[in-house]
Amino acid sequence: MGELATGVDRTVAHSARMWNYYLGGKDNYQVDRDIAEEMLAIYPGYGIKARTCRYYLFRAVRFLTVEEGVRQFLDVGTGLPTAENTHQVAQQFAPESRIVYVDNDPLVLAHARSLLTSSPEGTTCYIDADLREPDRILAEARASLDFREPIALLLLGVLGHLADYEQARGIVRRLLDGLPPGSYLVQCDGTTTDASYVKALADYRETIGVPYTPRAHEQIVAYFAGLELLEPGVVPIHQWRPEPGLVGVPAAVDESGGVGRKPLTPG
Amino acid sequence: MDAIDSVSEQPALPFGMLREQTSGTDRVGSTVLRMAVGAQLRKRREAAGVSREEAAYLIRSSGAKVSRMELGRHRFKERDLVDLLARYGVGDDEREEFLELARQANVPGWWQRYGDLLPSWFETYVAMEHAASVIRTYEVQFVPGLLQTDEYARSVFRLAHSDPEEVERRVDLRRRRQALLTSSNAPQLWAVVDEAALHRSPHDGGLCRAQLALLLEFNELPNVSLQIATFCRGVHPATCGSFTILRFPVQDLPDVVYLEHLTGALYLDKASDVEDYVDMWHRLCTKIDPPEESGSTLERIRTEVCATS
Repeated sequence: MGELATGVDRTVAHSARMWNYYLGGKDNYQVDRDIAEEMLAIYPGYGIKARTCRYYLFRAVRFLTVEEGVRQFLDVGTGLPTAENTHQVAQQFAPESRIVYVDNDPLVLAHARSLLTSSPEGTTCYIDADLREPDRILAEARASLDFREPIALLLLGVLGHLADYEQARGIVRRLLDGLPPGSYLVQCDGTTTDASYVKALADYRETIGVPYTPRAHEQIVAYFAGLELLEPGVVPIHQWRPEPGLVGVPAAVDESGGVGRKPLTPG
Repeated sequence: MDAIDSVSEQPALPFGMLREQTSGTDRVGSTVLRMAVGAQLRKRREAAGVSREEAAYLIRSSGAKVSRMELGRHRFKERDLVDLLARYGVGDDEREEFLELARQANVPGWWQRYGDLLPSWFETYVAMEHAASVIRTYEVQFVPGLLQTDEYARSVFRLAHSDPEEVERRVDLRRRRQALLTSSNAPQLWAVVDEAALHRSPHDGGLCRAQLALLLEFNELPNVSLQIATFCRGVHPATCGSFTILRFPVQDLPDVVYLEHLTGALYLDKASDVEDYVDMWHRLCTKIDPPEESGSTLERIRTEVCATS
C-alpha cells in the first residue's frame, strides 16, 4: 500500500516486488533484488519471515473456512500473486467462497485482476483503494460480499505501512465496525523484537517506495481490542496453530499476529 | 528469482521438490524438464566445488558440452549423469530420482509429429508453451493463436501457404495447442490485444461473428484473461511489436521472452532483456482497460464490425 498510484517504476525498489523476491517469485526487478539483498545482509530473517507469513495465511484461512465456516474474505493489501493466495486456499476447502482483494498499487491490481481468478462456484473481486480509505473499502465491498453474513478481514503485513500507530488502530476499528457481528480479523505485522530487523527498515526507509514501521508485540495485541481472541491469541506467527509434523520445528520470526472474532452481541 | 546469472546463489533444491514441481503434470515437457535438470546439475556441481573443466574431464568431454547440459540444451546420457553425480557427492536415493527425471526429459513431445511443418525455432516454442504455467502475450495485428477459431487460423495460414493439405494440418496443430487452455492443469493465459487486431480480418467479409463469440467465451474461463488496448485510451506504452513471455512452474527457471520475425524467432532469457519486456508488459497492462471491461468492449466491436459486414 502507498502512494504509487502513478504507475510502475523500475528504478525504485517496491515493497510488493521485494516481498515477491523474498518468497522466491519471479515478479521483481533488478532494483528490487539489489535492495532486498542489501536488507538481507542486515537482517537475514527476511526470507523465512516471508514464507512464514504465507504459511500463516494458509493456516488461518483454512482454519476459518474449515472450522469456522467462513465463506467471505476481505483481503486488504493483496500483494503480488504467489502460491496459495487467499482465494486459492479458501476455495480449495469451500469452492463457493467469495474473496475481495483490495490494494492501491496498479501493478498489484493488474496481476490480481488477471491471475487471481475465482473458481466457477465462488467469486473474486478487486477494489482499487488505499488502506487509509476504510469507508470506501467497505462501501465497495458491499457490491460483492453479503454484509448479513460473517466476513473475515485480512490485514497481513499492511498496517506497518502506516507510520502513525493511532491512525492504524483507528482504521482497524473503522473497518471492524462496518463488518457484521461474528466477523473475523486476521492480522499480523513485523515486531520490534530484533534490533537488526528494526535497523534494516530504518536504514532503508527512504530507499524503498513504501516505508514500513514494525510494532511492539503489545501494539499488535491492541488491534484486537473488543474482539474475542481465538486460541492461541496473539503470538509470534510461527506459533499460531503450528503443525510441527509437516515442516519440522517452525523457525522463529519477528512477526506477531492472531485471529479474533467480533462478538455476536455488542458490548 | 528470474536472474539466470543469480542461479548459483540460490540453494539447491532437493530433487524430491524438483520432481514435485515438474511431475504429476504431464504437460511439463521435455524441454523445460531438461532445463530444470540442467540447472540442478549446475548447482550440485558448484556446491561440490567442481569446475566445469573437471566435470568435462570426468565425462570424457568438453567444458562447452557441460555448459550445454547445464542449460538443458543437450540430451542427458545416463552414464555421464552417474559419473557426475557420484563426483558431486549425491546419494543413491537422490541419484535415482535424478536419473528418472532425466529419462522423462528425453521423451519426445506430441508436437514432434508435426516436425515436418515446424521450423525448429517454432517447435521449441510449442514445447515451451506446453510446459508454461503462465503465458503473457501481446498481439498487435492478429487474434492470439491460442484464441483463434479454425476459420480465422485457416485464413491466416492461407496468407503464407498455398497447399490446402498443409494449411489443414497447421490448423490442426493450432487446435491441439488451443486444447491446452481447457485441459486439466491448464496454464493461465494473460493476453493483451490491440483493438486494431479485432477490426481487421484475415479473410473477406470482416472479422466473423464466430471469432468474436469465441473470444467472449474464452474471456469467461477462469484461466484466461483478456485485456484490449482500445483506441479511445490513446497510445499505449508498448513501443514494440508482438511478444510473448512464458513462465515455467519451476522456481529455478527464468521467464523466457519469445519474439517472432519473418525468418525465425528469438528467445530471450538473459535477466536484463527479460526485465525490459516484463517492464513493458507491466506498463502496458496497467495503462489499458482492465479485463473486466473486455466483455463489453468485445460486444461493442461486434456491433460495429458485424454491422458493416
